[in-house]
Amino acid sequence: MARVVLENICKSFGSVDIMKGISLTVEDGEFCVFVGPSGCGKSTLLRMISGLETVSSGRILIDGEDVTYAEPSRRGIAMVFQSYALYPHLTVRENIGFGLSLARRPKAEIEERVGKIAETLQLSHLLDRKPKALSGGQRQRVAIGRAIIRDPKVFLFDEPLSNLDAALRSQMRVELTDLHAKLKATMIYVTHDQVEAMTMADKIVVLNGGRIEQVGAPMTLYNEPASPFVAGFIGSPKMNLYDGDAAAREGCMVYGIRPEHISLSATDGKWRGTVRHIERLGADLIAHLTVDGLGDLVARCPGDTPMVIGETLFASPVAGKEHKFERGAIG
Amino acid sequence: MNSRRQLFTGLAALAATIVIFVLPFLFIFLTAAKTKQDASLLTFTLPQQWQLWQNFMDVVSARDYMLLLAYFNSTVITVAAVALLVLFGAMVGYVLQRRPSRWNTLIFACVMIGLMVPPAVVPTIWVLQWLDLFKTRTGMVLIQIAYGLAFAVLLFRSFIATIPRDLDEAAIIDGAKPWQIFFRVILPLLKPVTVTVIVVQSIAIFNDFTNPLYYLPGRENVTVQLTLYNFQSQFGTEFNLLFMNILLVTIPPLIVFIFFNRQIVAGMTAGAVKG
Ligand SMILES: Nc1ncnc2c1ncn2[C@@H]1O[C@H](COP(=O)(O)OP(=O)(O)O)[C@@H](O)[C@H]1O
Ligand SMILES: [Mg+2]
Repeated sequence: MARVVLENICKSFGSVDIMKGISLTVEDGEFCVFVGPSGCGKSTLLRMISGLETVSSGRILIDGEDVTYAEPSRRGIAMVFQSYALYPHLTVRENIGFGLSLARRPKAEIEERVGKIAETLQLSHLLDRKPKALSGGQRQRVAIGRAIIRDPKVFLFDEPLSNLDAALRSQMRVELTDLHAKLKATMIYVTHDQVEAMTMADKIVVLNGGRIEQVGAPMTLYNEPASPFVAGFIGSPKMNLYDGDAAAREGCMVYGIRPEHISLSATDGKWRGTVRHIERLGADLIAHLTVDGLGDLVARCPGDTPMVIGETLFASPVAGKEHKFERGAIG
Repeated sequence: MNSRRQLFTGLAALAATIVIFVLPFLFIFLTAAKTKQDASLLTFTLPQQWQLWQNFMDVVSARDYMLLLAYFNSTVITVAAVALLVLFGAMVGYVLQRRPSRWNTLIFACVMIGLMVPPAVVPTIWVLQWLDLFKTRTGMVLIQIAYGLAFAVLLFRSFIATIPRDLDEAAIIDGAKPWQIFFRVILPLLKPVTVTVIVVQSIAIFNDFTNPLYYLPGRENVTVQLTLYNFQSQFGTEFNLLFMNILLVTIPPLIVFIFFNRQIVAGMTAGAVKG
């Protein structure tokens, strides 16, 4: 049961409070993603779980054990860094086996375990290369291999895919999900990319300004965002959000409607607008409209919808898909 | 057009190199092969009579094989001082760069002072005498370390700043103790600067003339540079033997330099480019 429990974690650097009381439980075997804008403290939180950063107050429990002040290597965690942090002077074999050789395990055992992991990660033919001679995806896999060999209770990932190109990134997303299914270990994954969060997570934790905005399953966050911030952060293209008069007319503080929950019509509808810009993505078409009394509105419709710039269209929200927030502001 | 200009500047550089470096060396070599009378003219001519081997034997056996003892002393001092310089320089540089603390400013100020303030000879001798290290090779090694450390620390520190901290942290998670991080992760990555420090310092220490003169008097403590005195006297200098001695003394640093030549520049600029 490698449950990770955070109890009221606070962190300040000097006089600046970065984390303002985080309480969270990550269940055993769960793939939990911390997501939030750059600088919101995701990495800091992950580093506190790993022990690389001290906590200012609060408690961290891994597997029921209080590890708040334990050494990183004694917490049963492994970490994959954004930069991979492979040891440049060591071969792939030595990189993966580094932890074991520090612990003075017998050569034969190291060799055997490295070999086995290299096979699962398809690195067997690269074992004698230095990291310099590997591609981004291969380096990534070596970094993951170095984590797996520690046989950790919890895997920690800090934006591991952000240095890869788009195609490789989606491939690695699948590989990581497969790995999670195979190892059944608890994984905590940090990213600023909501697509990664939505596609991989069992549970998403949305962070903003050192606080948790919302915790939940991907579809829960998508369907029932607790705040305008979460609403705007999850989903692509972004939800249309309005405050002020436009929201007051709907009877709330902030009014939101997702682009995919807008139906367009040439004849009648709730809002009247002109087409300002069209993005054709093939299967989909993203229309940017300027709507009277509302401002900009983004709508998503099927790719074959006929449309020209300057055309006047009517837009209506799909019933039951509107979001009305009584609190909060547009982030 | 362009390649022609490159050729021209290349040739000019080559010519300058020959005048500045090769000609003096040739002069030393030729004079070292001459007879005493021939050499005393100090002309840039071929020897009338080649006696390279004869001069070599004379120099080596002079004053009861003093040159061999000097080689031994110089080598011991150089190797010990450079090894410790690299070790301490890297360690201090690592701690200074990686562990910010209140002491850092003070330590860094000391390093800077070490670099800027010229050492005072007489007080240093008092300290050495007080420690019973005056006229000992150990004392000489410590002096060389003290003089060279500031430069080494600066070089190592700026190079370590280019090594991502993620590596240290990855090693921490892999279970490395601080000394293991240093010796197994950081030190191997310092190879380019280490080579620079080894070359620069070993040549400087091996070629040092004044410091052994002040701090290491005594016939049994002689170092190679001091053997140059053997053939100079009030009553006439034996130029052929002096130059043979110079030749012999120049060769070890030359070998070091040729051997490491390429890595030196890499080490000097490695810190600079990545900032
Ligand atoms: N060592 C540090 N000293 C001072 N401030 C820091 C330090 N590390 C991070 N911060 C600050 O903490 C905030 C959160 O940083 P970080 O956790 O890296 O954000 P994220 O990973 O979500 O982009 C940032 O504003 C950053 O400037
Ligand atoms: Mg980060």
